[in-house]
Parts: sequence; C-alpha cells; structure tokens
Amino acid sequence: MIEILQLILDSPFLQRAIIAAVLIAIIAAASGTFLVFRGLSFMASGVAHAALGGTALGIFLQDSGLVPWFDPVLGALLFSVLVAVFTGYAGESGIAQKMEVAVGVSFALSMSLAVFLMYYIPPYRIPQIWGYLIGDILLLNNFDVIMLASTAALLGFITLMFNKEFVYVSVDMEGSIAHGMNARAYHYLMLVVSALAIAIATKAVGAILVYAIMVAPAAASNELVKSVRGVILSVFFIALIAEFVGLAISFAVFVSPSAIAGILAALSYLLALQIKRVRERVHVEIDDIQPKSGDLEEVFEQATVHEHKKDHEH
Amino acid sequence: MAAVPLLEASNLAVRYPNGAIALHDVSFLVESPSFMAIIGPNGSGKSTLVKTFLGLIKPFKGSIRVNGYDSVKKTGKIRKLVRYVPQRDRIELSVPMKVKDIVLMGRLLKKLPPRFASSKDIKIAKDALEQVDLAELWNHPFPELSGGQRQRVLVARALASDGSILVLDEPLAGTDVESQDLIVEALGKYHKENDVSIIMVTHDLNPIHTLVQDVLLLKNTVIGIGEPCSIMDPELMKKVYGPTARIVEHSGHRYCMTHDSGIDRHD
Repeated sequence: MIEILQLILDSPFLQRAIIAAVLIAIIAAASGTFLVFRGLSFMASGVAHAALGGTALGIFLQDSGLVPWFDPVLGALLFSVLVAVFTGYAGESGIAQKMEVAVGVSFALSMSLAVFLMYYIPPYRIPQIWGYLIGDILLLNNFDVIMLASTAALLGFITLMFNKEFVYVSVDMEGSIAHGMNARAYHYLMLVVSALAIAIATKAVGAILVYAIMVAPAAASNELVKSVRGVILSVFFIALIAEFVGLAISFAVFVSPSAIAGILAALSYLLALQIKRVRERVHVEIDDIQPKSGDLEEVFEQATVHEHKKDHEH
Repeated sequence: MAAVPLLEASNLAVRYPNGAIALHDVSFLVESPSFMAIIGPNGSGKSTLVKTFLGLIKPFKGSIRVNGYDSVKKTGKIRKLVRYVPQRDRIELSVPMKVKDIVLMGRLLKKLPPRFASSKDIKIAKDALEQVDLAELWNHPFPELSGGQRQRVLVARALASDGSILVLDEPLAGTDVESQDLIVEALGKYHKENDVSIIMVTHDLNPIHTLVQDVLLLKNTVIGIGEPCSIMDPELMKKVYGPTARIVEHSGHRYCMTHDSGIDRHD
C-alpha cells in the first residue's frame, strides 16, 4: 500500500491521471446522466466528431493566414456548441427522436467538412486533426488538467443549480412551459454545457474514454436505480471505479488504461441489463391462482344456468 | 365592477404547425369561476385551443384572453394563474421519477431555482395524492404505474400546485371506470371547496356531465356553447359526431352516445 502511495507521490503524470479520472467521472455524472434521460446518448460521439471538423477549420484558417490567431481548439469548441444548438433547435418541441437525427446530421456534416478541408491543409498538420480524438489520460500536461477542472467545476455548478429544471424539461416540456418555467432556456443550457464538456474532455483524455464513460454508466444506472439523485451518484462511482481499475491494470500489463476503463464501463451496462432481467422475474405458483378463478367459474355457471331457465320459460 | 371573464375569444383563428387551419372564427365568452368542458371529436381543435390560450401557440388572427390577460402579450401573467396537465402520453417515462417527484413538480415549477421542497410543499403534495386515493404510492417509481394511476398522479400534481385555473387535457382518456370516478370526484370536490376554475378537454362529456357548468362544443369552430343539457341536442351532436350519435335521457340528464373514442393527438 505504502509502495503504491510512494509511486503516486513520485510520479506527477500519475497524479494528473488520477485527478483527471475524478474530473471525468464528475463530468459523466453531471452530463451523461441527463443526456441519457433525454434519449441523447449518441450526442457524446456526435459532438466529439463535430469538434474534429472544427479543429480542421481552425488549422485551415490559421495555416492559410486568413485568421492567424484562430486556435484549432476554438474551432473545436465552436463546432461542438453549434451541434448543441442545432440539436436543441430540432428538439424544441421536446421530441427526443428528432434530436437524435439532428446529432446524426451534424456528425456527418462536420466530418465531411473535415475531410473537405484536409485537401487544403498541409499534410504535416493532418495528424493534428486526428490527434484531437486520440488523447491519453497518462500523457496529460498541467494545462489539460486545468481546462478539465474548470469545465467540470462549471458543469457541476450548473447541474447542482438546475438539475430539477433539466429533469422537468426531459419529463414534461409542455407542462413546464405552461407553468411558467423558461424550459427552452434550460433545454439549450443543458445541451450547450454538455457539448463544451464533451469537447474538452475528448481533447484531454481521448474519444474512447469519453464515449464509454459518458454513456454506459448512465445507461446502466438508469436500468437499475430508481431516483434521479441515485442515478447521478451511481454514474460517478461506476465511472470512477472503471477508470481506477484501468489505471491500475495498465501498470501490471502493457495496455491502455482508457481501453480497460471503456471495456469495464460497457460491461457495467450489460451487467445491469442482466440484473434487471433477473430482478423482474416473478415466481408465482400455479396453485395460488386456482381458487380465485374457481369463484369466477361459479358465477359464470350460475349466470348461464339462469339464462337457460329463461329460455325455457319463453 | 363586472367580474373578469375566465375565457374570452374574439374572432380567433389558429393554424397547425403544418399550416392547416385548426380553428377559425372562434368567438365565445365564459364567466369566471367555472367548471368548463371543451368537447368535440378527434382533430376538432380542442387541444389547440388550450395551447393557444396558454401561449404555447400564437393565433394567426384574433385573440383570446384568460382572466382578461391576452394570450400573446401577457403570457407570463397567465402562466402564474394556470396549472396544466398535458395528455398523459406526453410525459416521458425514461427518467426515473418517483410519484412524489411528479406531484411536487406542480409546486416546484412555480418557484425559482434551486426549487427546494419545503415541509409545507410536501404536506400539500401528500394531501393531493390522498385526494386521488394513491397516498400509499408516494415513494413508488412513476413509470411502473398503470395508465390510470399515472393519470391520477398527474391530476394530483395539478391539485397540489398554485393558481386559480386548472387546465387538463384529456384526463379521462384511456382510464378505467374506477380511475375516471376518482378523478372526476376529486376535481368536483376541489372545485366546490376552492375558488378555482377548471377547464377540461374531453371527447366524452358523460362522466363529468353533472359537474360541468359550461360546455364548449368545437369542430374547428364553435358549434355550440352553454350548459350540458342544452349542448346535448340530437341535431347538434349529429352535426359534430356524425349520424351515429344518439342522445339518451337518464335520471333527468341527457347523455350522448357515439362510437368515438381514443386520444386526440397533433404532433
């Protein structure tokens, strides 16, 4: 135990990885939960790929000298917000399927834009575009951790303040508006803040970890846990355990910690489905039902005998 | 000073989102307070009328006022007065809400963030759930209830809230007789004991026949308005519901028999 602590204290990259793991778990709990409630689990991958298009645009603007100060990260953030706004616009009536389609369309649009721009970007900068999707939790620098921490803090604060509103928007948009809540504003707030968090988390720790941790623990918890607060807590712990186990295994075996965390998170969903199935199985002995139906049969017999008598009378 | 009317429509016309005309030449006046039913067959514009006076849809001609407030200019004022229960299938079941969360929604929606429930809120919510005979399900998951029970919880949400006008869109559709009776009884009692108006959209007037004061009969425009028995006119009913509609008299009241049933939807 002391050896492990010593190892952590001696290696700043490990400290950064552990902090990042906690922050990603916070982001998953605060954002992934509400995306799954809204039926928008696809948005995590949609936003990350849209950010790819934004990165390509940023590099193009910088490299062509059109807008030299335009950092590719700004492009990524801009595009992820655009996806959120587009998705929000499609779902203003509160129908989740329409938003899912909007995510799909903007996913395709920004990927096409990225490929289009690649022809005008010098080849040596193309890896930088793909690099957007391939982060590694063990290779973070201090700046990455600060960015991640401020996003998690912002997201956490907004979720603490407005979690009831986010739930109400998901449950009954029309009713919420009619009671005087500004449902449209909360609808957009939730989507835009989630998109920013997904974009920054992807840049920091890589796409695989973000997809897996944003969606699977929330989906698993939503199968089993029966209160909103319970789901949020459960997402946090599933995400954290998956990431820590991933980090620990990556020291024993030569593997990517993100891959292990991703596999564990996905397995948590499969496990939840199985647990739910077992839990819902009801055991009723056939003997328990017999007497009740006997009563009904008697009534039925009496009624039919009665009718027969009537027939004879006529 | 004359009392402000509950609803006052003048020359109102509304389109569906696709541009088709949902309502035209709608003018009527209902005094406050009232227990009012808006009836008509599927697609006759009942829900559209409700969404228009709640400010969810803008009229393209004319205007409608709720307690004297214009539905477009004074939406905020109207929403302070109103407690709204949408059609049951508009409530999303993928969120793990408990029954208490749904009932408390009625109270918390009228507050400001972070919308904490006080002990008074909880007491009022529990009382409301008692009214629809579901008090024992306080901690039960809402999505696991039957359709009729979910509808009763939604009625309890309206009873628990604040505001002098209750608006319910098809609260009796797809519920069994037991739930219908409980809902009707709870609403009638609440209307009698409190100074509130109730506006109910329904395509079946019969269960609430004896409680209702004003009936608005719609088929894309106002076909008739008045007290229940005057609306239950054989000719009027045939005009709206087709030739199969019949009027049955029973213990001094007229009831309408049609083959019409099912929930009205316009998505």
